[in-house]
Amino acid sequence: MSMLASYLTLAAVLFCIGLYGVLTKRNAVVVLLCIELMLGAVNLNLIAFAKYGVVPSLAGQIFSLFAITVAAAEAAVGIAVLIVLYRSRATVNVDDYDRLGR
Amino acid sequence: MFPFNLNPTGEFFAFFALAVCAITGAVMALSLAKVVHTALSLAFTFVSLAGLFILLGAEFVAFVQVLIYVGAVTILMIFGIMMTKHRDEERERGRPLLETLAAVFCLCLFGILFFAIRSAGFPVPETALPADNTTEIGTLLFTKYAVPFELVSVLLTAAFIGAVALAKREEEPA
Amino acid sequence: MRTVFSQYAWLAPLFPLAAFVVLTTLSRNLKRTGAFIAIVASLASLALSLLIAFERIGTGAEDYSGGFAWLTIGSVTLSAGFEVTNLTALMLVIVSLVAFLVNLYSLGYMRDDERKSVFYAYLSLFACSMLGLVLADNLLLLYIGWELVGVCSFLLIGFWFHKPEARAAAKKAFIVTRVGDLGLLIAILLLFRYMPGHALDFVSLHNVFDSQAGVISTSITTAIALLLFLGAVGKSGQFPLHVWLPDAMEGPTPVSALIHAATMVAAGVFLVARTYDIFEASAVALDTVAYIGAFTALLAATAALKQNDIKRVLAYSTVSQLGYMMLALGSGSWTAAVFHLFTHAFFKALLFLGAGNVIHALHTQDLRQMGGLGRRMKTTAWTFGAGVLALSGVPPLAGFWSKDAVLAAAFERHPLLFAVGIVTACFTALYMARLFILAFWGRPRGDAALAARAKEAPAVMTAPLLVLAALSVAAGFVQTPFGSWLGAWLSGEAIPEQAENVPVMAASAAAGLLGLYLGWLLYGKGAPKGGGAGQTRPWPWLVRLVEREYYLNEAYGYLFVKPLQGLGRALRLFDDAVVGGAGRLAAGAVQALGRLNSRLLSGQLQTYGLAAVIAAVVLMLAIAGRRFW
Repeated sequence: MSMLASYLTLAAVLFCIGLYGVLTKRNAVVVLLCIELMLGAVNLNLIAFAKYGVVPSLAGQIFSLFAITVAAAEAAVGIAVLIVLYRSRATVNVDDYDRLGR
Repeated sequence: MFPFNLNPTGEFFAFFALAVCAITGAVMALSLAKVVHTALSLAFTFVSLAGLFILLGAEFVAFVQVLIYVGAVTILMIFGIMMTKHRDEERERGRPLLETLAAVFCLCLFGILFFAIRSAGFPVPETALPADNTTEIGTLLFTKYAVPFELVSVLLTAAFIGAVALAKREEEPA
Repeated sequence: MRTVFSQYAWLAPLFPLAAFVVLTTLSRNLKRTGAFIAIVASLASLALSLLIAFERIGTGAEDYSGGFAWLTIGSVTLSAGFEVTNLTALMLVIVSLVAFLVNLYSLGYMRDDERKSVFYAYLSLFACSMLGLVLADNLLLLYIGWELVGVCSFLLIGFWFHKPEARAAAKKAFIVTRVGDLGLLIAILLLFRYMPGHALDFVSLHNVFDSQAGVISTSITTAIALLLFLGAVGKSGQFPLHVWLPDAMEGPTPVSALIHAATMVAAGVFLVARTYDIFEASAVALDTVAYIGAFTALLAATAALKQNDIKRVLAYSTVSQLGYMMLALGSGSWTAAVFHLFTHAFFKALLFLGAGNVIHALHTQDLRQMGGLGRRMKTTAWTFGAGVLALSGVPPLAGFWSKDAVLAAAFERHPLLFAVGIVTACFTALYMARLFILAFWGRPRGDAALAARAKEAPAVMTAPLLVLAALSVAAGFVQTPFGSWLGAWLSGEAIPEQAENVPVMAASAAAGLLGLYLGWLLYGKGAPKGGGAGQTRPWPWLVRLVEREYYLNEAYGYLFVKPLQGLGRALRLFDDAVVGGAGRLAAGAVQALGRLNSRLLSGQLQTYGLAAVIAAVVLMLAIAGRRFW
């Protein structure tokens, strides 16, 4: 086992913790935060492969740069949507966002 | 039984320490009561991730991570928390079924990933990464990956325009 | 000689069928004219039957048959057609004449009934089926007519279906005759299997069983004959399947007269007569027929002694007389049986219609409530008396000659059964005398006001009685030991001049007269109250046994009805639990699935997300696990 496996394992752990948070947490902001955590874990994966992968190159790091950018954009839009929802619903409890079911 | 061949190098110890920090931050984020504390512990995790990136020889990405994740995203989240009042104290009815199932299946997912990682044979890399990380990244961004670079800037523009448009308070009809 | 009218015999069942169709489709519009349509149709059938019969009087009329191939299955062809023999012509006259008279009578009897046209429709359907049965040229068509008359009997017994007793009686009649019909069906199947060329028509049956002895083995022949007889036992109310006839009296009296006295119950006798060659080929079957017939005659006659319902007495009398016919059949003389059928149809129908007059006047059927009607209903009383004398076998009325023919045949073959027949004749006269005296003699025992209002029935109800009474007196002369014309005409062979069996004639006449005298002694003289209840015999248990008809109905109830009902309940429980349970399980499963689905699609994103994660994990496990299987 190499260092790569350790990094990948760590990334998997963080990903699963983030996934659990997305599925379980009741506050919408916390859900968004956990999504960011999952994206961070993915970045760790990319960069680990960049160094220890089959053909080490900088493509992984550039990919992760883009990923960070997209994550930031998504966080911004997400918070904007959340604020609009809060204005109309006066709550950030995820359970109350069930308009899709009606 | 212990699947890891431990070469007790310095890298490994550093990795271990940073990994512990990252996991601790994540777990505490899930279990803390107040939302602001959650955000802060996640920020701690992001910093640990940055450290891991440095360990992996990606200094520029680590820098960007700290700048954007810790600096921008976390602050954005805290803004969001401040602007939306969430009642932390009320513990409404738990959703045991959902939480149990989610835990079980996340564990399953981790098990699958772990199994995949273990059974994949990774060959030893022959070449090494170029030393000056940042220069190389810059060169690549403006030559090989110029088009995605531009596209990402378009994306960012669209995102922030969208965010502003969404969150703008409606004008009161005069 | 060639006969002209026989070619049109197929029209005879079609007139009443047309009446049935018209009445069924238009019954709501024709309230009063419905009856006339039925009467006209039956008159048409009667006219045709009389023409056919009279044309055939005299010797040498050829049997006429016409038909067509009906179904061809592989190499087997089933044909359908009609056959006019002398026997068939005689039955045609009997059925259509009684049917016409009953139709006429019903005009008065059912005048106040709302469902009159339905009644006439059923009567017409019955007439059609019975005539079809009589004219059938093969056993399969006969079976079809057989079943149809059973259905009509069911419909007519249960005509007043709002009475639970009528419903129960209709069901009982149908179910008990079904047992017999099963025997007939199995016999037909056996014949189909064993007859050369799978032929089922009577001509082939006659050829095979009469001349070519040995084509079909004796044991099979006996089995077929016994099974045919089982069908006759059911339809003609012989022991042990006689229990439906007394209960069938729940139907209107014209129905009892037509179906359960003159025609349908005679179908069993007709069947045996038609297939007589099979019976002659098997001595066992013949003896069985004779013994069961004689036993039934005696059993029914004793049961009739203690009945209090006027129609039930007549019902048991019918069973008893049918037993006589079976006795004649079993003693080798089917002509005597048919002769008795011929005369019995007339005087039994007469008795039933007369009883109908009494019931119509007094609105009760209980003999204990009657009495003294002879003064007020003269025509009915006189014609009824003629019927009583005929049934009792008093010379020179018709019943004497036919009963004498039966007893003469029995005397030659089964002397023991002859003795039984004599005793039964005595009982017959006894219970008929009792009936007549209780109904028409003495003082009114029941509601005096009602009795005072009783008057003679209208002409439309007494005219048939007069016709039937005339026939009861005169019809016997077609066959006497002095000149047996009917027997020769029916069987087509000259009956050898037999010495008039004077002892037999004397014995049967004496038995009848003795019975009448005893009846007059017991019930007429002294005018006891309560219809003879004061005449408690030294053995009250015997009286009770006879009154309850030997507890046969109760025995059948315990032996058959209760176990079957228990089986029915068990099966219903099974059906509810297992079959119904399976259905409910399926429904419940689908409902549960629906409820699960609605919980999944609650609109909450985290539920959706969880579902997606589960699906992804399952998918990954499936793909990753592929290397293991």
